Amino acid sequence: MTEHAFKIVGARPTEEKRMPVKRKWYQGKPMISLGILAVIILGCLFAEVLMTKDPMYMDLMNYNKAPDGEFLFGTDTMGRDIFSMIWYGGRISLMIGVLSTVISTLIAVVIGAFSGVAPQWLDNLIMRFTEIFLSIPALLLVVLLQAILGKANILSLSVVIGITSWTSIAKVVRTEVRQIRNGEYVIASRCMGGKFFHILWNHLAPNFISSIMFMVIMNVRSAIISESTLSFMGIGLPIEVISWGSMLSLSEKALMTGSWWIILIPGTFLIVTLLCLTNVGNDLRKNVNRKESNL
Amino acid sequence: MRKHNRIFYYGKKSLIFLLSVLVLSLVVFYVARLAPGDPLVSYYGDRTEKMSPQEREWAMEKLGLNEPIHVQYVKWIENAFHGEFGISFKYKQDVVEVISGRIVNTLLLGGIGFLCIFVGSLLLGVFCAWHEERLTDRVLCRLGTISSCIPEFWLSLVLILIFAVTFRILPSSGAYSTGKAEDVGDRIIHLILPLTVVTLEHLWYYAYMIRNKILEEVRADYVLLAKSKGLPKRSILFKHCLRNVMPAYLSIMAIAVPHVLGGTFVVESVFSYPGIGALSYESARYHDYNLLMILCMMSGILVIFCNMLSQIINEHIDPRMKASEVTETSEVKAV
Repeated sequence: MTEHAFKIVGARPTEEKRMPVKRKWYQGKPMISLGILAVIILGCLFAEVLMTKDPMYMDLMNYNKAPDGEFLFGTDTMGRDIFSMIWYGGRISLMIGVLSTVISTLIAVVIGAFSGVAPQWLDNLIMRFTEIFLSIPALLLVVLLQAILGKANILSLSVVIGITSWTSIAKVVRTEVRQIRNGEYVIASRCMGGKFFHILWNHLAPNFISSIMFMVIMNVRSAIISESTLSFMGIGLPIEVISWGSMLSLSEKALMTGSWWIILIPGTFLIVTLLCLTNVGNDLRKNVNRKESNL
Repeated sequence: MRKHNRIFYYGKKSLIFLLSVLVLSLVVFYVARLAPGDPLVSYYGDRTEKMSPQEREWAMEKLGLNEPIHVQYVKWIENAFHGEFGISFKYKQDVVEVISGRIVNTLLLGGIGFLCIFVGSLLLGVFCAWHEERLTDRVLCRLGTISSCIPEFWLSLVLILIFAVTFRILPSSGAYSTGKAEDVGDRIIHLILPLTVVTLEHLWYYAYMIRNKILEEVRADYVLLAKSKGLPKRSILFKHCLRNVMPAYLSIMAIAVPHVLGGTFVVESVFSYPGIGALSYESARYHDYNLLMILCMMSGILVIFCNMLSQIINEHIDPRMKASEVTETSEVKAV
């Protein structure tokens, strides 16, 4: 208190040298999010153990039932058990999230690194091209790509989402590569006849991987969102292929009958997963040590 | 000399703009025509299946689809320069007419939504920065993170479930009740739910950005000087810090325009709101080439224009910044 009262305005607070407190490995990490995420991923991987019913079976006697003892989360308008569908469908949602992120990251790293080491004019050209690519509305691009790839399945949907979401990572990779491309080790490697992919993999990638890690996790997140949105709108997975998105595509019927469980339960699972992913991703972002506010 | 430079600068910008638009039109034109699918279906409907080869030939000729793609493209460009964009295959009407009936709705939703986001995120960001690391700030940050995780379509569904199905106080679809197209009050009531979704979906992203920008600014040395001069906290924050943050915020918001407009596409389809979102989806799906082209060009031009605008704003703030570095700000959005 006294110290506060006599504080001189304008004096810079001197940094106190604190002894580094030894922290346990789990401290300062988003343990709750990691835990929930682990439960959801494991639950989806071992869906067969958890499922109380066959998720594909359409029980016409018990359609559109509210949650009770037998159907833990109720049944949808086609008589399928939502509890079983969530674990079973989560597998596909998560898989599309991971698969499309792998695709988009690969494209992004190759294009970004290439643009980073390329001469100025080529770099400009590639960046212009990226901009034009970005200016086509993503939804239209998806519809057009779907038309080219034919009827949607897990792989084609992942490819579509992957192709439409690489630009932001590519830009970061490019900036990072431009900064390190003239490092001695890169030049040395090139003098020894290292090929583009060799240099990319062994010398460039280890340097930029930490700065794109956060974006990669966020890409998983947005891929899951895209999948569910597309499936909901009827351009993604068909209704027989169970995923969190295609489960929600029944919600228009559910709205008419006021069956809240068809909308709220899969949606909650979706959002909890996304939230955990966000927390994990945010943790990966380098924590800048902030000095004290001047205000 | 300076005047000469400025003319050169804007001339270069407009040249890049025109080139980008041209390349965009070329890409969209080719991708749309090369995508498999029968464009005749959108014009003739189910009758297409029963057509004889001669009839098909005749129909293709009539719609101008039997020529090589590059010839079609040149024709399209020529007509476009005269302001003729062809007819929509599905609506059998001039595309400009088809769009003009709906674009007002989208502009209304997107425009008001953008204004809400612009003002709301500024206020929210400043509020959070003012209360940095205190309880209100932390709670708002948590809530914001959650709100950014909710997919647009699900938020729309939940809002419909609460306000239209359970309480029955707001309409669940459309832009106006039948026969009340001119009634302003009725339109506003129909706008409430879609507008809420559009705003909430983007609000936190920009609010968080401005919060962090201000927090960075507050740590600058001039704030210390202002404080030692005895200026109150409020006037330092609003008169000095905010003014320094504003240009960066403006350039980010310029990039936000197309994102907000793109976000309305999904919202329009959930609320069956008659805007151009649903129209562009339809046109891509059923190969309504002329309609698709004009819609793609409109949104594409908007995107390119907004990117350029934000570049120009940035370059005016800091002349050292080169165009290539400015694009970095746009990547933030995708996060």
